Amino acid sequence: VSDSNFSLLVFITFSVRSQDIRNTVGNIPMEWYKDYPHIGYDLEGKKIFKPIRNKDELDEFLDKMENPDYWRTVQDKMTGADIRLSDEQVDLVHRLQQGKFGDVNFNEYEPAIDFFSNEVMIHPVTNRPQDKRSFIPSLIEKEKVGKLVHAIKMGWIKPRRPKETTPQYYDLWAKEDPNSILGRHKMHVPAPKMKLPGHEESYNPPPEYLLSEEERLAWEQQDPEYRKLSFLPQKFACLRAVPAYSRFIHERFERCLDLYLCPRQRKMRVNVNPEDLIPKLPKPKDLQPFPTTQSLVYRGHSSLVRSISVSPSGQWLVSGSDDCTVRFWEVSTARCLKTVEVGGAVKGVAWNPNPSICLVAVSYDDTVVLLNPGLGDRLVCTATDQLISSYEEPEEVMDQSVQWAVAEGEGHEQGHRLILKHPKTVRQVTWHGKGDYLACVMPDNGSSLQVVIHQVSKRRTQNPFRKNKGLVQCVSFHPIRPYFFVATQRYVRVYNLIKQELTKKLMANCKWISSMAIHPGGDNVICGSYDCRLAWFDLDLSTKPYKVLRHHKKALRSVAYHRHYPLFASGSDDGSVIVCHGMVYNDLLQNPLIVPVKVLKGHTITHDLGVLDVTFHPTQPWVFSSGADGTVRLFT
Amino acid sequence: MSQVQARFFTENKKYLIDDVPFSIPAASEVADLSGVINKLLEAKNGQDLQDFLKVIFQKLCGIYYLETWDKTEVVEIEYVEKFTAPQPEECIMHDDWISSVEADSEWILTGSYDKTARIWSMEGKAVMTVAGHTDVVKDVAWVKRSFSHSLLLTASLDQTIMLWEWNSERNKVEARHCCRGHAGSVDTVAVDPTRTKFCSGSWDKMLKIWSAVPTVEEDEIEEPNRPRKKQKTEQMGLTRTPLMTFSGHNEAVSSVLWMDAEELCSASWDHTIRLWDAETGEQKSTLTGSKVFNSISYSPLCRRLASGSTDRHVRLWDPRSKDGSLVLLSLTSHNGWVTAVRWSPSHEHQLVSGSLDNVVKLWDTRSCKAPLYDLAAHEDKILCVDWTENGLILSGGADNKLYTYRYSTCVSDAGA
Repeated sequence: VSDSNFSLLVFITFSVRSQDIRNTVGNIPMEWYKDYPHIGYDLEGKKIFKPIRNKDELDEFLDKMENPDYWRTVQDKMTGADIRLSDEQVDLVHRLQQGKFGDVNFNEYEPAIDFFSNEVMIHPVTNRPQDKRSFIPSLIEKEKVGKLVHAIKMGWIKPRRPKETTPQYYDLWAKEDPNSILGRHKMHVPAPKMKLPGHEESYNPPPEYLLSEEERLAWEQQDPEYRKLSFLPQKFACLRAVPAYSRFIHERFERCLDLYLCPRQRKMRVNVNPEDLIPKLPKPKDLQPFPTTQSLVYRGHSSLVRSISVSPSGQWLVSGSDDCTVRFWEVSTARCLKTVEVGGAVKGVAWNPNPSICLVAVSYDDTVVLLNPGLGDRLVCTATDQLISSYEEPEEVMDQSVQWAVAEGEGHEQGHRLILKHPKTVRQVTWHGKGDYLACVMPDNGSSLQVVIHQVSKRRTQNPFRKNKGLVQCVSFHPIRPYFFVATQRYVRVYNLIKQELTKKLMANCKWISSMAIHPGGDNVICGSYDCRLAWFDLDLSTKPYKVLRHHKKALRSVAYHRHYPLFASGSDDGSVIVCHGMVYNDLLQNPLIVPVKVLKGHTITHDLGVLDVTFHPTQPWVFSSGADGTVRLFT
Repeated sequence: MSQVQARFFTENKKYLIDDVPFSIPAASEVADLSGVINKLLEAKNGQDLQDFLKVIFQKLCGIYYLETWDKTEVVEIEYVEKFTAPQPEECIMHDDWISSVEADSEWILTGSYDKTARIWSMEGKAVMTVAGHTDVVKDVAWVKRSFSHSLLLTASLDQTIMLWEWNSERNKVEARHCCRGHAGSVDTVAVDPTRTKFCSGSWDKMLKIWSAVPTVEEDEIEEPNRPRKKQKTEQMGLTRTPLMTFSGHNEAVSSVLWMDAEELCSASWDHTIRLWDAETGEQKSTLTGSKVFNSISYSPLCRRLASGSTDRHVRLWDPRSKDGSLVLLSLTSHNGWVTAVRWSPSHEHQLVSGSLDNVVKLWDTRSCKAPLYDLAAHEDKILCVDWTENGLILSGGADNKLYTYRYSTCVSDAGA
């Protein structure tokens, strides 16, 4: 123990000694003796009095002013005596106040000596020899390891489980079926709302809500279930006069019943993106072949070309124009091989679809001329001439509205064979697929003679309709079955020629049909109209259009189907031909697929007229169009 | 300016240069490249050879795409001698559209829409008019050329083919045979390499083989009841019937040719090219395209078929290939239907094509992106082209004009 500790001890003993003498009260708070003149008792049981302190404030002050040791005088609370601190004691107080050790000489930062370090000393702290167990293998551990190895071998424990890198959380909703939650949210049915009280519930309803005497009687006689009101409206002079509502419990009960029995059903509202409802159409690129570019221009006509037709072999093209000529063209070179003059602006031309007959029907004014162009197989041409010349006059002469005449002289040289004089202007001619029957349209409103069917081999003319409703626009034969299509301004009527009855009436939903074409399969019809629409009818589906296309900007003049390829085309006054892919499936459940594939432009618009006729090549995916600019164009 | 590493190579030993890559500007034109090669050749061969080697080099494969090349790669550029551009020689006016042309070293034979065929000298002088058909002459062919007596064929829209004998000394033409049997316009005829047979293709979908040897006997006519026709045959030549008929096409036959003495090739509107055995009439193989074929041509030098169809492309086919892609190359530059194609008889890479866009194009199959030359002389549709052994290109069309062009391959080319 150092010197400083010793001095502290001395100090303590000094203070304890003085206390020992005086303190006889024990370790109690000294303020308990505050109001007493004494502190404790001596051995004789007499009070030990405090030193008399009768210093008042003034004395205190004077003392403070005069006594130079006042600042080092403290009162001993044990005895109540004043003690003047010595210099050492003041010093000690100062040091303690500064938080230093009381002893001046005590060095608190002496270097520490590490006795028990990790270094192995030459001379160990203890001289105990090592245990035996510290150098022989532990049997217990060996047993434990053996068990583990065995367990690993047997596959009971996995040697090293892969560390799970993903942090694991407790998924509160893991076990719950998400659909059920969603379903619960979805299936929330709000409680039925109560009807708000109306005027009749008022304590002072307007007089019109109050029931009259008869009404009241009627109400009373009514079954409570059928009553419109479950109570009688009553009038009270003031709110104070309103009595307690007698039906309250009853109504609450009914309300509970309502809530309990309210239907737990929900109307499903389907949220659908309108884009998804549009059917996915294949790309035009995948629907080839179809005509894409203009390849040839057949120039030669000096006026608008109203009608064109292709020979069944596909080698020749015939065009009829307002310049009173019919021209025959070689399809592959656009060479005009023949020009036949007729007596008027040509309204329609039609090549006989039978490949063994070489005849072209040409209509101008009120005349239909059957031309033998002399193109194609010589044998066929001569056979056709023979067929016409071999006609024998029947014994009984029938009264016919159309006069048949055989062309002679110059006309015969040019190829005219038969001339049919009609009573009215013929607008359209069309052949039956077999090539013997020829239908002509003479539009005339209200007349009974608008459509006539000629039989070329017998030179007979029939008027199939006793009465025509409306203005006939165009007619067409069914390609396979004995049906006849008649298009009036708004309707297409399908007649069965054998049963002689109306089979179907198609409603075109347009103002004025201009043209019509029958699908080679015979179950689909397209109609072009002057109000820019093209309507596709599926005869098996309905009498309304299956699809209406409004691609053209101006009136449609002509529509056509391809004989083999799933194509159809429409020509319009806006000078364009629109080619569409129109696939018809054998499967009755599958609707036709209609995809517009190409807009073909080439014709210049003259006198507000663009394309007047379109027709397809019989074997190639090529489309011909004739226009008001006097040209015929081939698109391939 | 970016640079491209290029290595030049040629197959012509005479103009070999060192096989080292050169750095050339990417924007080089053909003229720049030929300048480079000429400089190299001059340096290699020394000054004294300079005049002798004034060779200009011409269009190179892929030259137009030099700028798009990867700059780190070495571009392989083949250079060939430049051929001088075809020089227009004659413009022979006809009365009507020219449907077909065939020339040999001395005479040009043309078929026209005015129902006649004409023989012209190389200078464009009308020598002979062969009239006798009642309709448009669609195709013509020389059968045999000798000093005085020549045989020629004309096929017409009137369904007949006529075999004519032309005596050039007396300048008289005589119809020897009238070949009847087709039931449609005869659009094409081709004479076999032995010059004893010919084949015709018609709109009636048939191919017929006929003898091309003139005889004095008339073939037996199957239908004897033709009293009126009998008179005509007196002046129209003796009637001849086909030796063989090949049917198989589903549409009109547009072009027919002999690949060799035993093998026939026909192109049709049914989008196929068919190869036939001429002896047995057996169909050997079919090449199927997607468009109507207008014309085909075969080059024995490169064993390729070239076809012109009703689109803008000239296609090259390998008739021997059994599988894989049949179309080897598409030459695309025309703007209309390709109506006529013809291989060069002397050069294995060159062919000429005529189109409805009024342009005749001369192609080198090594540069398929662009033609070597555009011969834009015609004012209307081109319907036929031909190329003779002695380097004459002919083209005829709907403007009634037959143009001839002199196109000489270099003398050195033959030696190489």
